[in-house]
Amino acid sequence: MGEVVVAAGTVVVLGALLIIPLFLIVNLLPWKPLPIGGWERLGVLLGGSLKAAVCALLVAVPLGIATAVFNAHFCAPRLRGWIKPSLEILEAIPTVVLGLIAVATLAPWLKLNIATLLATLVVVPALLLGAGMIFGHRLRRHQGWLPIGLLPVVLAIVALVVAVASQRSEVSIVPASPWNAVLIGLALGLAAVPLVFSIAADALMRIPAAHTQAALALGATRWQALTSIVLPAAASGLVAAIVLGASRCIGETMIVLMASGNTPLLGIDPLTGLRTISAELALGLPEAEPSSDVYRMLLLATLALFGLTFVLNLLAERVRASLRRTSTPGMYAA
Amino acid sequence: MRHGAAGDAGTWLIAGAASICLAVMLMVLLVLLSAGLAPFWPASLVELQLRDGRSVLGERVATSDDTLILRTSERERAGGAYMRIADRDIAAQTRADDAFVIALADGRRLFGRGDASAAAVMAREVASNAIVEETLRPNAMGTPTRIAVFFRHLGRFLGTPSVASASVGGALPALVGTVTLVLLMSLIVMPFGVATAVYLHERSGAAARLVRSAIANLAGVPSIVYGVLGLGLFVHGFGASIDRALYADRLPVPTFGSGGLLWAALTLALLTLPVVVVSVEEGLARIPASLRAGSLALGATRSETMWRLLLPAARPALLTGLILAIARAAGAVAPLMLVGVVKLAPALPIDGEFPYLHPSRQFMHLGFAVYDAALASPDAMRGIPRAFACALLLVGVVIALNLTAIVLRHRLRERYRALES
Repeated sequence: MGEVVVAAGTVVVLGALLIIPLFLIVNLLPWKPLPIGGWERLGVLLGGSLKAAVCALLVAVPLGIATAVFNAHFCAPRLRGWIKPSLEILEAIPTVVLGLIAVATLAPWLKLNIATLLATLVVVPALLLGAGMIFGHRLRRHQGWLPIGLLPVVLAIVALVVAVASQRSEVSIVPASPWNAVLIGLALGLAAVPLVFSIAADALMRIPAAHTQAALALGATRWQALTSIVLPAAASGLVAAIVLGASRCIGETMIVLMASGNTPLLGIDPLTGLRTISAELALGLPEAEPSSDVYRMLLLATLALFGLTFVLNLLAERVRASLRRTSTPGMYAA
Repeated sequence: MRHGAAGDAGTWLIAGAASICLAVMLMVLLVLLSAGLAPFWPASLVELQLRDGRSVLGERVATSDDTLILRTSERERAGGAYMRIADRDIAAQTRADDAFVIALADGRRLFGRGDASAAAVMAREVASNAIVEETLRPNAMGTPTRIAVFFRHLGRFLGTPSVASASVGGALPALVGTVTLVLLMSLIVMPFGVATAVYLHERSGAAARLVRSAIANLAGVPSIVYGVLGLGLFVHGFGASIDRALYADRLPVPTFGSGGLLWAALTLALLTLPVVVVSVEEGLARIPASLRAGSLALGATRSETMWRLLLPAARPALLTGLILAIARAAGAVAPLMLVGVVKLAPALPIDGEFPYLHPSRQFMHLGFAVYDAALASPDAMRGIPRAFACALLLVGVVIALNLTAIVLRHRLRERYRALES
């Protein structure tokens, strides 16, 4: 009897995956052409989704992968026990809350301070690189605790930037809309950081510690061991992290719904608003009459969204599976 | 250049990225805490003497570089008495000790000065048919009194229903809606999730690989796609059929044929299935193989071993899966917008009337309350603080559930470590 229950449950799960594309295709099936402008609109929405995803990845990939690399390769073991749970808590924050912070707290500030943001993006990495060159060798023994040491510095820089920005009255870069792709990039990117981090960290942890130790024994620095041994070995896992991050960003709804302005414009200017497939579905479907033209167009948009994310997930799953086969996690014993 | 300097610089760069992640997380929590709790704090009242001779009494709700926005007595309707005042027009600012604020049950605030009788006169005059919720004198309050008032406001927010426009009053219906929804979803998702996990644990053939990759893909499908499925298949498909078969006399008014609690719970159950399967399977895999071998060696069948031994031993893993699923479901808002969440429901989905749980009713949800208050509120000065308050409540619920899961997972590990030794 137990076997029957188990089999029944499994069939339901398989059905659940199949039912989504089946439902969409069956409902679109007696194919009627879309109303005039339907394809153009779909294209604009798809472009909006891709633009939002690209902006978000520009934030999420550097932050997520750098944090994962530090966590796996340099981090003091006790600090490692803190970084991962912190990012898990960030992941647990519902996206509607991140959307709220984006639209109510970040957007009014960003509207006036795009130039400040750009300056920070140049100054902070330059400061870090410079400080590392000058002080790095003295603190090498303590580099496992660097993120905690740099935390007050980063917070101080942020406070300084905000203070300086509030003193100036003239605005040097005026965005076309306060709800623009830069804002989406920051908010959606923040939402995607934990996912990119956890998959990249998983891949990096699978690289046997013996490889690193061998490199160190031969006289390499930790950084050389990282760039010449660990990163090439984990490359496919990092690619999987980026692909899954992209899939997550394309499908995310609440942040883009709240903070993108929902203007169906297409263009590469990051200071204009956008409208994504997911936002169109959330706004349009509750009002659409079943089997009307609009409803069918929205189902087609859903199919496009499903297909796109499905392909990306499948790709990432393939890459990760091949990594799992080639690496032997049992050898990792720190 | 010194040997290794480039490497040091690179190390500092990625360490900086890690500390930016930590800093951002701290700032998000800080913004949430401060903006989410601020609405309950009794703010001081200010009286402004303007250069044109007028003087206005009210509550400062926003300030920018050269202007401030003051909420003055709302004699007509809530949100109808904001004044934007430029700093250069202000001659003097005072905080009178005898200033009072009357909060009415419909969300309006009245401001005035004088003793208790003046407040009573004002309340009678302006709001003869409105209920006075409380009269406060924030300027005369010491910090302990303010803290007491703060907790009273917080308690009222958690414990009372919303009224009329849903932009005032408490968050109780949204909280009840959220909790009822996730409980119903758990009842649906747990049996299927556990069955699939058991299957994956017991088998390792081509079929199991197929199911495993199906689960991985199911986890990556965007939540809004589940919402579309819920609307198209459950609501327009199943719901309309149920209506035609059982509630034909009520048509065209839909019973199950419009969004409601049951369909939302089913949609969320599909959404959270992968979470349950993955964590239960992980728990089963962690049970020492010797336990299972011992049971089979003593003559128990595979089915007996599963029901009597492995599943009870994996009980903490089941709980972990359940809690993670609940946390995921409590944060999923986008699919709900398609399958029956509303900004103001006429009745709770659960009440004292038979059959107590009403699966066809529309419901309110904390996450949707955040969205609605932030973007669709007619009074943005009240909407945004309210959205933050709801957001803090939602995050509190979700993080509490996640922390419970982490503690349970830890206990589970300790238990098996004891079994192995």
